[in-house]
Amino acid sequence: MGNTKRYWSGLEELKETNDYKTTLENEFPEEQTVDAFLADEKLKDVNTGRRDFLKFMGFSITAATLAACETPVVKSIPYVNKPEEITPGVANYYASTYYDGNDYANVLVKTREGRPIFIKPNRALGASGELNPRINSSVLGLYDAARVEGPTKGGQAIDWASADDEIMKALAAAQNPVILSNTVLSPSKQRAIDMFKAKYNAGHVQYDSISYSGLREAHKAAMGKAIIPSFHFDKAKVVVSIAADFQGSWLQSNVFSADFAKTRVPEGKWMSKHFQFESNLSLSGTNADVRTMIKPSQEGKVAAALYEIITGAGAGAVEGINNNAVAAAAQMLKASRGEGIVVAGSNDPNIQMIVVEINKALGNYGATINADRPINLFQGNDANFAGFVESMNQGAVDFLIIDGVNPSYSYIDGAAFDAGLAKVKTSVATSLYADETASKATYITPDHHALESWNDLAMTNDRVDLVQPTISPLFNSRAAGESILKWSGVETDYYTFLRQTYNPAYTAADMYTDAAWNEAVQNGYKPNNASVGVDTVEQEEALPTGGMNISAALSAVKAIKGGQVELAIYQKVGMGDGSQAGNPWLHEFPDPVTKVCWDNYVTMSRVDMEAMGLEMEVSQNVHPNVVNVTVNGKTVSLPAIMQPGQTPGTIGIALGYGRGANGENIGKAAFQTAENGTHITKEDGSLVPIGANAAPLASMKNGAVVYAALDVTVEATAEHYPVAATQMHHTYMGRESVVKETTFGAFKAEAGKKKGEASWNKMPALVVHEDLNGDGEINAQDKKYTKEIDLWKEHPVEGVGHRWGMTIDLTACTGCGSCVTACHIENNVPVVGKDEVLRHRDMHWMRIDRFYSSDWSLERGEEEGVGTIESYTRMEHPSDAPQTVHMPMMCQHCNHAPCETVCPVAATTHSNEGLNQMTYNRCIGTRYCANNCPYKVRRFNWFNYQGYKKFQNTNPSQDTLARMVLNPDVTVRSRGVMEKCSMCVQRIQGGKLEAKVAGTPVQDGAIQTACAEACANGAITFGDLNDTKSTVQSISKNNRAYHALEEIGVQPNIFYMAKVRNTEENEA
Amino acid sequence: MNKILFKLFTAAFLLTSLGTSASVWEGGNAENGEALFNANCASCHYTTAEVLAAPGLLGVKDRWKGVSDETLILWIQNPQAAAETGDKYVKSLVERYVPTYGWMTAQAVSAEEVKDIMAYVQVAATQVAGAGDATAGADCPTIGDDLEESGSASTTVWFLILLVLFIVVALAASGVRNSISNAIANDGDAEAGLTYTDRVKAWMGRNMAFVSIIGLVLVAYGATIGYQALMGVGVYEGYQPDQPIKFSHSIHVCENEVDCQYCHSSASKSKHAGIPSTNVCMNCHKGIKKGKQYGTEEIGKIYAAIGFDAATGTYIDGEGNNGHKAPQDDFDGDPIKWNKVHNLPDHVYFNHSQHVVVGGLECQNCHGDVQKYTVGRIAPVDEVAALVNDYPGLIPLSKPTLTMGWCIECHNKAEIDLASSDYYEEIHNRLKNDVRGNEELRKYMEDEEITVRELGGWECAKCHY
Repeated sequence: MGNTKRYWSGLEELKETNDYKTTLENEFPEEQTVDAFLADEKLKDVNTGRRDFLKFMGFSITAATLAACETPVVKSIPYVNKPEEITPGVANYYASTYYDGNDYANVLVKTREGRPIFIKPNRALGASGELNPRINSSVLGLYDAARVEGPTKGGQAIDWASADDEIMKALAAAQNPVILSNTVLSPSKQRAIDMFKAKYNAGHVQYDSISYSGLREAHKAAMGKAIIPSFHFDKAKVVVSIAADFQGSWLQSNVFSADFAKTRVPEGKWMSKHFQFESNLSLSGTNADVRTMIKPSQEGKVAAALYEIITGAGAGAVEGINNNAVAAAAQMLKASRGEGIVVAGSNDPNIQMIVVEINKALGNYGATINADRPINLFQGNDANFAGFVESMNQGAVDFLIIDGVNPSYSYIDGAAFDAGLAKVKTSVATSLYADETASKATYITPDHHALESWNDLAMTNDRVDLVQPTISPLFNSRAAGESILKWSGVETDYYTFLRQTYNPAYTAADMYTDAAWNEAVQNGYKPNNASVGVDTVEQEEALPTGGMNISAALSAVKAIKGGQVELAIYQKVGMGDGSQAGNPWLHEFPDPVTKVCWDNYVTMSRVDMEAMGLEMEVSQNVHPNVVNVTVNGKTVSLPAIMQPGQTPGTIGIALGYGRGANGENIGKAAFQTAENGTHITKEDGSLVPIGANAAPLASMKNGAVVYAALDVTVEATAEHYPVAATQMHHTYMGRESVVKETTFGAFKAEAGKKKGEASWNKMPALVVHEDLNGDGEINAQDKKYTKEIDLWKEHPVEGVGHRWGMTIDLTACTGCGSCVTACHIENNVPVVGKDEVLRHRDMHWMRIDRFYSSDWSLERGEEEGVGTIESYTRMEHPSDAPQTVHMPMMCQHCNHAPCETVCPVAATTHSNEGLNQMTYNRCIGTRYCANNCPYKVRRFNWFNYQGYKKFQNTNPSQDTLARMVLNPDVTVRSRGVMEKCSMCVQRIQGGKLEAKVAGTPVQDGAIQTACAEACANGAITFGDLNDTKSTVQSISKNNRAYHALEEIGVQPNIFYMAKVRNTEENEA
Repeated sequence: MNKILFKLFTAAFLLTSLGTSASVWEGGNAENGEALFNANCASCHYTTAEVLAAPGLLGVKDRWKGVSDETLILWIQNPQAAAETGDKYVKSLVERYVPTYGWMTAQAVSAEEVKDIMAYVQVAATQVAGAGDATAGADCPTIGDDLEESGSASTTVWFLILLVLFIVVALAASGVRNSISNAIANDGDAEAGLTYTDRVKAWMGRNMAFVSIIGLVLVAYGATIGYQALMGVGVYEGYQPDQPIKFSHSIHVCENEVDCQYCHSSASKSKHAGIPSTNVCMNCHKGIKKGKQYGTEEIGKIYAAIGFDAATGTYIDGEGNNGHKAPQDDFDGDPIKWNKVHNLPDHVYFNHSQHVVVGGLECQNCHGDVQKYTVGRIAPVDEVAALVNDYPGLIPLSKPTLTMGWCIECHNKAEIDLASSDYYEEIHNRLKNDVRGNEELRKYMEDEEITVRELGGWECAKCHY
């Protein structure tokens, strides 16, 4: 497409003034003009030939090169007054807590020279320290140049004193002030809000971007308390999930995923069984043992059927689905009373009510579900909030503080909220960005970023987790709690106020003297002896009981009717609720299921797409069709991609996209970029958001927001839209040497066999040209394990010093991708943007290959008389209800590495510690190594991502502020060199040095790669394979351990553990 | 009333005793006094007029004229008690110095010892005025010594000049010959009418062997020069950029024997040796306000950076703000912007603690005789190698400092003592207890030592990642 836009350097050029024309003709006015020069008679005597010209040029270039060799003077600037705890070059870690209204985790923040650069799990506190990609990527948000730099009024900067003054005047005059916040977990903030409420007789409304109010309401009706209980997936032998993506996005998915992984150990006494009923293929769905495709309208019916079978109240069958799975799930639940969990993702109180009753009937409460230790997350109540929006629209609210929420974007009726907000006389947003909501508020009084602030968070009432600042505020911001205190007339800084929550007598003199507090800060939590918690009573009272009962709920869900096409709205693992839409790491992170980066889309089943005649391929040159999805007159236009496992007759759209639709400044990466890296603009010059907001397609049902639409129209348009996916082929096409999987039954049958002998993990052997078995002839029976065949002279690694290696358990891996983002952040991996991903130039050192199973096989091809080539073609296509394998793939650090032998400049070599080393400064970019790599894990720097303008809006290292997040221990690679997983060699070197300084051997577990550290499920283990005491060595000897592509004999130092599904043929 | 009487009495006594030899100012043992002074007084007092943490003692005798010996001794033994005597001079001292420096610490010295100290103070004052501190750091070069130009404008330049001269002379001579030939040409010479170039060509044809040898020599010479020039690219031996402060390692390390790691304290903890932060300078320079060569000018730059008022000896913004003990919480200090001397490319990872702590190297092994430098400088490899006798364990190297050749040359020679720590012990055991490890170990031990290289010190990813 040609660029018809016109650019000009100044008004003169645009208007073509005479002056400008003269200058144009006369670039160097003082000098002789070209015409005058050529007209010079003497010129004819000058004889400068082509050869002379080349000589001059050669000389100039040499001279310039030599001159350029002079190193520029580098400044080295020490501290004026160095803080005692900082040693330049040595990282400090601070215990803190991450909470953004949706995700919650105990974390450790790594800082270098006072800059937070990495977030890792704080496992001292159990599973609540586990991360997901959203949490570990959040560190970039601190350095976002789009943050509001100080208080503003109507978009204009204002100083704090005048802002406070004006706000307090408005408050004094206000009749009905209200604080609108996300779920307040902080006892101190709650205290501040209570003071505000007391002073101004104000109201407080809590709102969650993703609502779980149906869950609370169901508990209120069934158990008398509007709680969300804590779920203990680590105790569950049977898990039945009805459209709840508890491993990817539902509730405390980071905790649930980690807990559940503990039950997925085939070597253990038992292995849990996981049934999933859903319409979109969610992350949990890909990991389920038994997955059944249902429609959103059938979610309640499945719950009802389970209820009826379990209680014996009825036949329990759902029309139109495979009822075997329902029956099997119900039977297994019944057989393991008190050892199962049933969860539902729907926010419909009726469905949740049935689920609560099922769990109650099974005796799961008090066993796997703890109602006595409720979690304080998600206290928002949809009916309440709807009422609040209405009262705003009636003009009943004249002063509003908006804290930590963005309902203009995330609420299902954002327009109504906006209309109401317009009627509020004075509104104050404490947002970090001038986002959809804050940009419409009268004032923005920016809060600190979480990494800049103190806070206390009571996720449960038996413990208070602390948030501590790891850097001084970058901008002129102020803690939201402090602002609320200030406006309540309390002149206390938030830190003092927070300390006073726990010790009313606290003064600044006690800052460092309270040993118990110091310990709490160091640990990141405080045992809650004083029973200071957040008060949930008010919320509970506010909930309507609604006269809900089980029989009404059952008949209500049975009466739900679906339309021709139904829509299930879900959260992506990367984008979540969209609060980090400006984070390029999360955009570049390929969705674990679809493998699409940088975009939102409609997922559809093959059947429906074929019926509509839509393009099903996604590639660089083949772009999917854009479809219009209409619900109740609201339409979104998104590309449609084929999703195996999508229930026919349903479509899926993710939340979290379409941020900044009116050009709100929420970060450069939140908007679409053109091929040349500049932002794509609409006709009016405003920026084009990525994807579209699906929240308006959801609707209120029974007083709760339900993320589904049961009657949707989908229309194809002529438009095509490129979608960048990192994985094009969908199945592993029968190459069992890549992925090995078996069933729990088959595993148990041969569990005692030695490594390499079980039928599900045969060690590959090759026929050799020598008489091995001594039968006198050389034939196909003469086989040798590939391990014993060497093409090259062996590299001494085994038994020599260290041998760094890794094991990856495919059974434990859910494909969540925390490792991918952790690796990305740790190793300064460049972000390349959508256009480059589309050209297959993504730079991720670590990818998670997602393979679907195909229902075709070579054997079946033979039986049915289909040729081999045709069979392979058919195997490429996943079945409509596939099983899925997630396989983390990175450099395998082969001891017989094919890449090393082809490098002409020895830029990639093997270390005697087993690492395949990549030396950037030697690499000349021939890319032979990438060609020769059987695992395709080498990445080539096509551009100077830190400087080239194509990446100006996507690559954080092009931003002077965002580049602060770079890891100073890892080189930022230049254009033209290869790069790949180094097994976090900087950490290995650092860990070895620590051991050497201490004079002790390297302790097992002391060195962790970023990916192993980030894995919530314990799927990745890193260590020294030569260390007889190491976990990694013992795992590598397990009979499930194998090398990917073992038959090619490259002898990697990475071991995979065969995937075991707890599925037997008769149960599916 | 009693007090007044007492005063009158002492005054009378003083008047009578002035002439006697019993005064503290006379008859002391200066040698003994020096030891006492250094042990008790030197941490706060100079013997010169300069103020350290307390007034300098030059002319102390004159200043205390008119005050009784007893008061002076009391002042030294118990300053507060001396102040209570109400002596005017003591009172003036208290008013002038106590607010800034605090009370002098009471010294447990006898009257006899005070006499010795005073004897030394007076002698020391005359010495300062005369010979200076000739004893301190006789080998310590003063500033500027190491800044001399490497004046050998190399023989190459002279050779080139001579060569050019020779060519000019040769051309001139042949030009003359040419003209003469042309003049003779009319007489029917064979070379008549030939151009200058043709003649040269003809001459070259006749003297093929000579021309070839000359040509070869020229090409070889050019190649050598070019090779040397290229090998010098990226070599910064002797690099010593100007610094914002005319700092002298010589004065600090050589004369005053400050340990390198007192200032470069992170060398044992971190990859960076670190440039001391200004508050570290202030540990000494809160007291030492005047430099040996530049007086207050250079030290004043430290004060400007951290906000210290030398006259009053206090930090501009006060100490102890917000419960912190560090100076300058709020002073908008302007850090000293040093010019980095030892620049490694970004793709090189170097760790000081690995070499200082694990390797046990002295700073001088790589940085040379830093104690003889003024500001930081990259020591040329020959200079470092020359220190081989002074520093046991120093490995003389040949490649230019801070080049990769230099690094790996050392890694190839440096020996690792496997018994030095449990870490190496473990590695050693693994090698011993494994067949393949044993094989490798035998290879390592062929030269009867295990070098850094043999344990992986030449592998790329040890320094490049």
